Amino acid sequence: MLSNWIGLGMMVRREIERMNSAVIQTLVTPWISALLYIFIFGRVVGSQITIPGDYTYIDFVLPGILMMNLISSSFAHTSFSVYFARFTKNVEELLVAPLSYWEIIFSYTIGGIIRGLAVGAGIYVIAILFSAATINHLGLFLFYSIAVSAIFSLAGIVVGLWAKSFEQLSVLSVFLFTPLTFLGGVFNSIDLFPEQLQQLIRLNPFFYFISGIRYSMIGVQESNQFGGVVLILILLIGFGFFVRSLFQRGYGIRV
Amino acid sequence: MKETTQKSVPALEITDLTKRYEKATAVDKLTLTVQQGEFFGFLGPNGAGKSSTIHCITGIAKITSGSIRVFGYDVETNYRIARAQIGLAPQEFNMDIFAPTWKILDYVAGYYGMPSEERKIRIDELLERFELKKHRDKQFRELSGGLKRRVMLARAMVHNPKLLILDEPTAGVDVELRHELWNYLRELNKEGKTIILTSHYLEEVELLCERVAIINQGTIVADQSMAAYTKGGKRLEETYLKLTKGLHA
Repeated sequence: MLSNWIGLGMMVRREIERMNSAVIQTLVTPWISALLYIFIFGRVVGSQITIPGDYTYIDFVLPGILMMNLISSSFAHTSFSVYFARFTKNVEELLVAPLSYWEIIFSYTIGGIIRGLAVGAGIYVIAILFSAATINHLGLFLFYSIAVSAIFSLAGIVVGLWAKSFEQLSVLSVFLFTPLTFLGGVFNSIDLFPEQLQQLIRLNPFFYFISGIRYSMIGVQESNQFGGVVLILILLIGFGFFVRSLFQRGYGIRV
Repeated sequence: MKETTQKSVPALEITDLTKRYEKATAVDKLTLTVQQGEFFGFLGPNGAGKSSTIHCITGIAKITSGSIRVFGYDVETNYRIARAQIGLAPQEFNMDIFAPTWKILDYVAGYYGMPSEERKIRIDELLERFELKKHRDKQFRELSGGLKRRVMLARAMVHNPKLLILDEPTAGVDVELRHELWNYLRELNKEGKTIILTSHYLEEVELLCERVAIINQGTIVADQSMAAYTKGGKRLEETYLKLTKGLHA
């Protein structure tokens, strides 16, 4: 399964170097966007909002903003990387090398996780400047950050294999991830939604990602933590084997 | 990736290979053996099945049926060892166009499991050999056609493979490089490397290869020594045209 460690390490290095070669796009853009979100929604608008509990509105929205960026960054990293490798036919370099499918999948996924965490770390530093960075459960915080980045890195690989044009890379992000994130409670407690919508939101996995990381940071619990962890593990394993099966079939890469 | 190779084992052994793309059959029950140390020409008109065969050998394409063994190792069940023996310079440029020359070589050597020190030495050697030293930091897209071809060849050789598959390696390169490359390939072959060459320049094949197989419409239509093709003062081109045109008619 995994034995070519030098090859795996080299692929990860390549992914990191690709991220570093376009820092404005890969890191600075999400940091600036998060800074504006935190300033406008957290500080300016948030100062006028009172919410129940011992925390401010900026404390409440920060975990959601962090999760939103972890998702979009890790997804964007692998989807672009895989699609670009297909577009230039450079993926053939990997296909002819003595690398297993798992080694290729792990390398891309680790690359996506690293980008997600790099973006997340920058946002956390910005949050410190606004005195909004707290962590109640470090273990859970790391689990949610890494596991959700991994899930969306894997989702990015699927889209990178499926896409027939650069435009298609953003389809899932625009039509699925963004609405589900906003409806998953990034800016508000789901209690503010109508009762029937709340039931639907409980079927939205993004709600568990956001609620989970919020719990790990400020201790506010809207979802069942155990259920959230189980859901994340199921998605992670399911996506992992799904991507493996796509590679096995040669979907999008081998004719 | 433990690997042992007996001298008697063929470098390449293809048995009943069939490759289909949906309804089109590109390769049809092809059987071919290339012995270790051979300089082997693999010819055929465009669309005859050369690249499909090469793609099946190297893992770029899925095999529909049949089997391929490289130095005795099946390319599907023992793919790690089999692929480590092969160096491929494909016909089309398939590079990361934004990567600098030395990094392209470094990445690929890494994929083949070469440790960092070994990579450094090998890359310097190849940059020198292909006169790419002053272009080492240039991105692939900034290089001229001939220089790109050199990088493709250096990449194929970076992990020091025992079997080199060169698909149109001299397409678009200047006369000087073509001659240098011929000399280099002869040298490599003398050192014991097995080389499979496809080319539309038949004089190149005539000059370098000791045995040639001609493929047409997915099947081998001739497989014999160069001497047999050029017997009685004939040129390889004559026999090639006779075989391929005759079958097209």
